[in-house]
Amino acid sequence: MSTLNIRKWAGVIFVLVYVIVGIPLWYKLTNIYRAPLPREYIKTLHDKKFHDVHVTIPVYIRSDVYKFPDIHEAAQVQVNHLLNSKEQNVQWSLEILCYNETFIELEKEQGREYHIVTLQLDEFVGYNAAYDSKNTVVYFDDPTVARNDLPFFVAQTLVEHTFNVEWTYLSSGDLMDSRNDSVAINYTPNVHLSINLLKGDGSPVDWEIQETLTTYFTPFRKFLSPLVNFTVDTSVVYFNDLNLHSLNESKEIEWTDVSHAIDLSELSSMNYFSEDSALNLAIVFPSKETNPNGFSFIKTTEDKTWDSFIVPQWGVLVVNKMPLEANSVISKNYLDAVFYKFANDLFELLGLTTDMNGLFSPVITVDSFKRIRTLQNMNKSIETLWSLIKLTEQFQQMAIPKEVLEKVKKVLDIRLQIVEILNNPSRGDDLSWDKALTLSNKMVQNSEEAFFDGQMLKQNFFPQEHKLAVYMPLMGPITIVLFSGVVALFKETEETPKTEKDNVTSDEKKEIEETEKVGAIEGVDEVN
Amino acid sequence: MRHSPITIALLLLCKLAFVVTSTEDPEESKIKTSDNHDNELFRVMEGGIEYPYEEVLNVRPLPHNHLLSSFQFQMNSEPFYPGQSLHGFETYDHYTVFPKSLEPLLRRTDVRKLHLRFTRGYWDSEEWGRLPHQGFKSGGSGVELWAVVEGSSKQEAYNKWKSLANGLSGSFCASINFIDNAKTNYPVFSFQPVETNFDGIPLFNETNELYLMHASLANEPICTENLTPLLTLLPSKGKSGISSLLDGHKLFDSIWHNMAIDIQTSCIDNDRYANNGECYFEMESNVDVVAHVPSILSRNKHPIPKPLGGEDLHCDLSKPYDAYQCFPSPETTEIQFSLSDIFGKNISGANDLSFTHSKICASVSDNWLATIKVDDGLFGTDDNCFELTENRNYDIYMESGSTDKVIPVDDVPIYASRSLTGYGQDHGGLRTVFTNPTHKPVRLSYYESLPWFMRVYLSTLDMEVTHGNKEGFTLNDIVESQYYIPSIDRKRSSQLEFIMTIPANSTIALSYEFDKALLHFTEYPPDANHGFEIESLIITILEPIPYQLRTATLLVYLSTPDFSMPYNVIIISSTIMGLIFGTLYNLITKKMVPMEEAEKILATRSIKYKLTMLKQRVVSKFGF
Repeated sequence: MSTLNIRKWAGVIFVLVYVIVGIPLWYKLTNIYRAPLPREYIKTLHDKKFHDVHVTIPVYIRSDVYKFPDIHEAAQVQVNHLLNSKEQNVQWSLEILCYNETFIELEKEQGREYHIVTLQLDEFVGYNAAYDSKNTVVYFDDPTVARNDLPFFVAQTLVEHTFNVEWTYLSSGDLMDSRNDSVAINYTPNVHLSINLLKGDGSPVDWEIQETLTTYFTPFRKFLSPLVNFTVDTSVVYFNDLNLHSLNESKEIEWTDVSHAIDLSELSSMNYFSEDSALNLAIVFPSKETNPNGFSFIKTTEDKTWDSFIVPQWGVLVVNKMPLEANSVISKNYLDAVFYKFANDLFELLGLTTDMNGLFSPVITVDSFKRIRTLQNMNKSIETLWSLIKLTEQFQQMAIPKEVLEKVKKVLDIRLQIVEILNNPSRGDDLSWDKALTLSNKMVQNSEEAFFDGQMLKQNFFPQEHKLAVYMPLMGPITIVLFSGVVALFKETEETPKTEKDNVTSDEKKEIEETEKVGAIEGVDEVN
Repeated sequence: MRHSPITIALLLLCKLAFVVTSTEDPEESKIKTSDNHDNELFRVMEGGIEYPYEEVLNVRPLPHNHLLSSFQFQMNSEPFYPGQSLHGFETYDHYTVFPKSLEPLLRRTDVRKLHLRFTRGYWDSEEWGRLPHQGFKSGGSGVELWAVVEGSSKQEAYNKWKSLANGLSGSFCASINFIDNAKTNYPVFSFQPVETNFDGIPLFNETNELYLMHASLANEPICTENLTPLLTLLPSKGKSGISSLLDGHKLFDSIWHNMAIDIQTSCIDNDRYANNGECYFEMESNVDVVAHVPSILSRNKHPIPKPLGGEDLHCDLSKPYDAYQCFPSPETTEIQFSLSDIFGKNISGANDLSFTHSKICASVSDNWLATIKVDDGLFGTDDNCFELTENRNYDIYMESGSTDKVIPVDDVPIYASRSLTGYGQDHGGLRTVFTNPTHKPVRLSYYESLPWFMRVYLSTLDMEVTHGNKEGFTLNDIVESQYYIPSIDRKRSSQLEFIMTIPANSTIALSYEFDKALLHFTEYPPDANHGFEIESLIITILEPIPYQLRTATLLVYLSTPDFSMPYNVIIISSTIMGLIFGTLYNLITKKMVPMEEAEKILATRSIKYKLTMLKQRVVSKFGF
């Protein structure tokens, strides 16, 4: 059996080539590219949210009548004490600084505004806020100074009133507070606003909308522009009363009936515009033919002929009781009243509402929401990245293109930039918060682009089973032949008797003889 | 009040808004509003409110009891200012009669002119004469789209065009999104706007250029889902005025129908539009439909066809007839019908929005009677044109005792037909026959776009005079100039354009050959054996009169593979590889032994032997 060893070697080499070259080559050639995503880092960011964030807001304190050289230090102690009284889900603090007029004026010239607290001597104790600036006025009287209550009072005003939004979201509640989620749209920096005048019939109508919008809505847009940019269109739609005429025959109408009957399908303007989300204002007038006596379910008062309703995540519906005469022009007066109500509701639709008692200026509220939105955006994009990680881990055969990795890296870079702005106490002006918000919007956008990457989501990947099924006709025969062959080859050495008969033990001899006796050798059977 | 916490803050905000913009005190204005409630909130315009919208319906009997109905709707958009920033705080877009679903798309894609056609059916030009609107409002069978797009480069313009196609696809529920590089052409001689060299078309950015692009989807089915979006583009939404006649069930149950949309950009002052001048879109929408009146009337009578009774049969009296035998008479020449029979609906009310009232005109000869039915009364006019002025139900009633006499149809300057020649799956030919029945030579432009898998041999282009003066004409005499862009596989279709003159009273045939390419496996459509639709040849007559016509679409058969082939290939090649491997492996690893030795080896390996051994071991162990 001189060839046996060579044959064995050949078998082994076949197996080695199969295992060492064949399988890795097959795996490599049929494998897909999976970019290495920074899983551990994202997991840390996800598990310990905002562990590296400490929002610091500088507040300048000034006193008009008395000079308190150490008021900022004393107030700082009280503020810290108050803030520490609650567990914060995102670290935040106020840095009370002494008012430096030249610095503030210089900064103001460059468009940077800071929070300022003005201490004003008065006959009573109280606080107030300006409408148009980030200025809080604290009134105090002499006994307060005598009792040294002023620092505490300043701290309380600041934390519980001026920074009420932060106090609500960051200290006592949940950052991703969902109180208004059912009504408010998801935050996006660009929102399209469609203002529709709907009429149940086809008689012509005109409205003084341009005048109303420029005098009333333009300042509102400017005011909200750091948070939300609106693009606005108006349209007149005939022969559409949102199917409200169908309620005319019913006697008892509940509000649920209205919400069931209403048909908003023709008003979805999302399709035509490039903005991510859209809000609507629909002013509905009934048809003169189908509803000559108007909508019975609208209750009117002397000075109000319409009712308005918020449709969650869609917009506001203004339903008029009576139909319009043909060739009517809707005056600016009417539209002003509608827009006043609409502007109120818009805050709710944008999720900009708080528990605050309404004593503080909208400027301060919007400023606070810039920070909250920034933090929420950061949270949102980290959640998105974490979902991406989970997705890629769940689908092992899904390709992860390089672009996804680049996007993820960009998101993480932007996050660090934002954290730097938030943590830096010397950057607490308007423009810094605007920048942080813009960056956070970019962060959300990039994280969503990474998650919804076309190459990844096209599902053009083979599951492992599919791959095996395709290659089985090739792999199956080769594997079976190869391995059964090698096994047989090695068995052969164990069982092949030595050629010399002497080496056969007496037991073996006996066995063979007995076998022959019982005729177990098939060859013999066949011969017989 | 539910929103009370923020209301006060907002009151302050609103106060701010008023302080910023006007000196008027909000409280005061509120009081004023409530005081002058009745006078101030709504006021009625004495002269009426009018929007730039017009609608006209023209009905015209054609020979052999056919009826052509042409609907025309025209509307203008509100002005817009190209120089204005889209994101300015003062920017507000207003939409009144112009569709909101189109304008943002047009503005985003910088479209200056847009033409969209949905056509289906056969226009019998030998019987019915010229196409409506001189053929300029009809398309080839299927969907056709062409547009002038402003762009800084060809690629940018193409991207906008693609975005336009995708947008229109969604708006019209049609497969327009299938228009891609391989289907888009840049016409050179045809489709040039009336404004020569694009001079009249506004260019919002001086450094940009205008690009004309054309694409068509041959024989794309046209159905109700395309009509409904078209109706929603109209301010009346198909609920009043003449558009209330349009109903998918009846409209598509016709011999030929055509829906067209044409939009163009106009600017008030052409010198200033780039610098905040005022521009607007003009849109014209046409729906033309040819119906065979007797068959529609009989279908109205018997929705399910059944044999007529003996008394209803009209036998041809010139031939023998009796109780058992009847040759049906030629078509009746007596007819009376109303538009509600043809369209299934009345006209519900007038359109109040426009400068002019909705108008219906019947173009009939003296032997026809056309009257308008207002509620229950019938009224006629001298010129057979009716204006709808009130909000009532209208209908048009028409009758004639001799329908063979209609207003004479206009002569068609040219007839053209195109057909496939050759056989087999690897090559074929195209042959186009032009017939000029007039006494004047006709100068025309020829525009043909062929898919890349038809590889044209332009060298085989040949001309043949089949009728008329056969002497003295060569291809070069007929074809004045030609433009040809060869195709690139999967990227560009081939485009063939000629300016040619067809001599008077003659018929010529133009033919050339092509090869059929093989497609990739994945490029075949789901119904590959149906064949591939080839878009119409478009002929635009330049002289003596402007006219446009299209030939029918063609169906090319390509060699179609057996689609189980890849699986078979995998199976067979795997089997062969397995066989080769097994043999090779055996050759290398197996040894040859004499029979005796093999028997011995086999002896120790057999199951019987092993069983005996086992038995023996058991026996010896228990010591029996």
